[in-house]
Amino acid sequence: MRLGNMEEFWTFGTPFLKYERSLARHFKLLILNIKPLNSDYFQWQLLICGHFIFRIAAVSGAVFARVAMGTACDLFGPRLASAALTLITAPAVYCTAIANSAASFLLVRFFTGFSLATFVSTQFWMSSLFSSKVVGTANGIAGGWGNLGGGATQLIMPLVFGLIHNIGATKFTAWRIAFFIPALFQTLSAYAIFFLGQDLPDGNYSQLHKSGDKHKDSFSQIFYHAITNYRGWILALTYGYCFGVELTIDNIIAQYFYDRFNVNLHTAGIIAASFGLANLFSRPGGGILSDIMAKRFGMRGRLWALWIVQTLGGIFCILLGKVGSLGVSVAVMIIFSIFVQAACGLTFGIVPFVSRRSLGIISGMTGGGGNVGAVLTQVIFFRGSRYSTETGITLMGVMIICCTLVIMLIYFPQWGGMFFGPSSEGTTEEDYYMSEWNSAEKERGIHMASMKFSENSRSERGKRVGSAPSPTDGTPSTYV
Amino acid sequence: MTIQGFLVVSILFSCLAATSYGVVTFSSLQENLIVSASPKLGQVLKAGEDNIIVTWSFNKSLAAGTDSSYKTVKLKLCYAPVSQQDRGWRKTKDDLNKDKTCQHNIVTKPYSSSNTTFTWTIERDVPTATYFIRAYVYNSADHEVAYGQTTDAHKTTNLFDVQAISGRHVSLDIASICFSAFSVVSLLGFFFLEKRKAKMSQAK
Repeated sequence: MRLGNMEEFWTFGTPFLKYERSLARHFKLLILNIKPLNSDYFQWQLLICGHFIFRIAAVSGAVFARVAMGTACDLFGPRLASAALTLITAPAVYCTAIANSAASFLLVRFFTGFSLATFVSTQFWMSSLFSSKVVGTANGIAGGWGNLGGGATQLIMPLVFGLIHNIGATKFTAWRIAFFIPALFQTLSAYAIFFLGQDLPDGNYSQLHKSGDKHKDSFSQIFYHAITNYRGWILALTYGYCFGVELTIDNIIAQYFYDRFNVNLHTAGIIAASFGLANLFSRPGGGILSDIMAKRFGMRGRLWALWIVQTLGGIFCILLGKVGSLGVSVAVMIIFSIFVQAACGLTFGIVPFVSRRSLGIISGMTGGGGNVGAVLTQVIFFRGSRYSTETGITLMGVMIICCTLVIMLIYFPQWGGMFFGPSSEGTTEEDYYMSEWNSAEKERGIHMASMKFSENSRSERGKRVGSAPSPTDGTPSTYV
Repeated sequence: MTIQGFLVVSILFSCLAATSYGVVTFSSLQENLIVSASPKLGQVLKAGEDNIIVTWSFNKSLAAGTDSSYKTVKLKLCYAPVSQQDRGWRKTKDDLNKDKTCQHNIVTKPYSSSNTTFTWTIERDVPTATYFIRAYVYNSADHEVAYGQTTDAHKTTNLFDVQAISGRHVSLDIASICFSAFSVVSLLGFFFLEKRKAKMSQAK
């Protein structure tokens, strides 16, 4: 049983769940973006974080965290995995209030960064709860509102700090107290996830494991099937050039407007925040578009939509670097942000279908690809004075277009790819998803969840008329 | 003759241009003041608490009348090279309008050629760094005309440190640690609860 049509989607309690999930991510991003007042004192962390070695360490940590999170979701379920991660990283946020040296700042920021891996568990969770027809929308809303937190922090945290300062604390203490707010929210949201959340419509992993309805899977098998699926790697690359680009722009855009157009720092910050705030509707919009295309054209529609939207994002990125006046530049930036964020939503309309058994690790790889893309882009185009920022932005746009071309290589035998229809051998969804299980495992019956999913995913054929071929290995599908 | 004339005119013109555009360079200033301060080499002072006693006077060995245009003296706390490394926002530039070496004002006083002393309590928002003290002398048009500093030309001697306010309180430290411990203990509680729920549903 899965939440299938749009009515169930909105009336079932899970919109609340989704909101609370995105709330959790929102506050993680809150933490990373506080701009404490005494900028000289804290420019240390920018200084140190710019150091090459620490960048590498930070990105490896981020990729590892996402893949580990994906694995944990596959093995223990997203509810426990995200509650655990949220609670474990909460001390890092509490300790930001007592940090007092460059090294301690670095550590605190590094560990807080791990909490962003809840992105993976969110997408996994949405993919588990919602059926193929609405999975794009679910992933898009959860992901988009979570990323929204990144833009909202730029506006909220200074207000929180100002409030505490006005209540009576000195500046030096007020910013430390201000960090308790996101930290408390983090702890509370972990509680909410644990007590209010549910892994699957049928129940939680631990109960299902004990009752025998769900079998505990083996890590090595999950890992093997994830890394040998080339589609996961392709999506990791393309995600690096939509979400990675989003992260890069978050980092450089305020400085760009400040330097090139001489707006004051406050205005530059607002412009930068509006880039992130577009996530309110653009990433969910991408997810909704993915589902609409799938209804009509199936998986091929999802792939085409992703390619078109991300390429358009690249084109507007090229334009952004070329435009010379402030007003037009802001307009182009907003259009660019809509396309780039929609592309992120569209990517996670496809990820749930790449693998069923290894959904967590594939989600983790894709998420990790986003971080790698961000760092790679910043190191190539925005480090030092080799390229001016506007040239860097234009070149980044060219790189987006080039790296998005690989989507053309994605091919699902049961549904087709961008240029080819489904395989003439009549491969079915069951064939594709069952190929991840060997016959010994099938005998034990632990492949049933994948069977259910493959039946559900028939909607990815689009509006094709024709009877579905019967499953080849003769195991009857049970409808719950 | 014409070349000399051209040179003179161009020098005059650039001086005029410099003064009319207000671009004064540090290298054009003479070190005509003698400045000394109370901190010893390597001493660490606390922002918001400790005092610095600064003394400055005109270098009497110079010709009389050199200081005829001097009107005001401004004392500033300046970053030593070690605290400027890798920090673009503290960079030293010759153009005094763009120079960021001295960002903290100590005091502004009218110029007097004899010994003047001032006691300054280090302000609370001074960050942790290594410093020296420099005095700029201004003329009536408010342009720098001379300077003096406690350190040598390479900024290596007589440097002292300031330790900034941390803003930490014991209560904050305790609160942080308590909440962190609470989070971790909650997590263990979650795992325990989860196992129990699973066992109970199995028993049903």
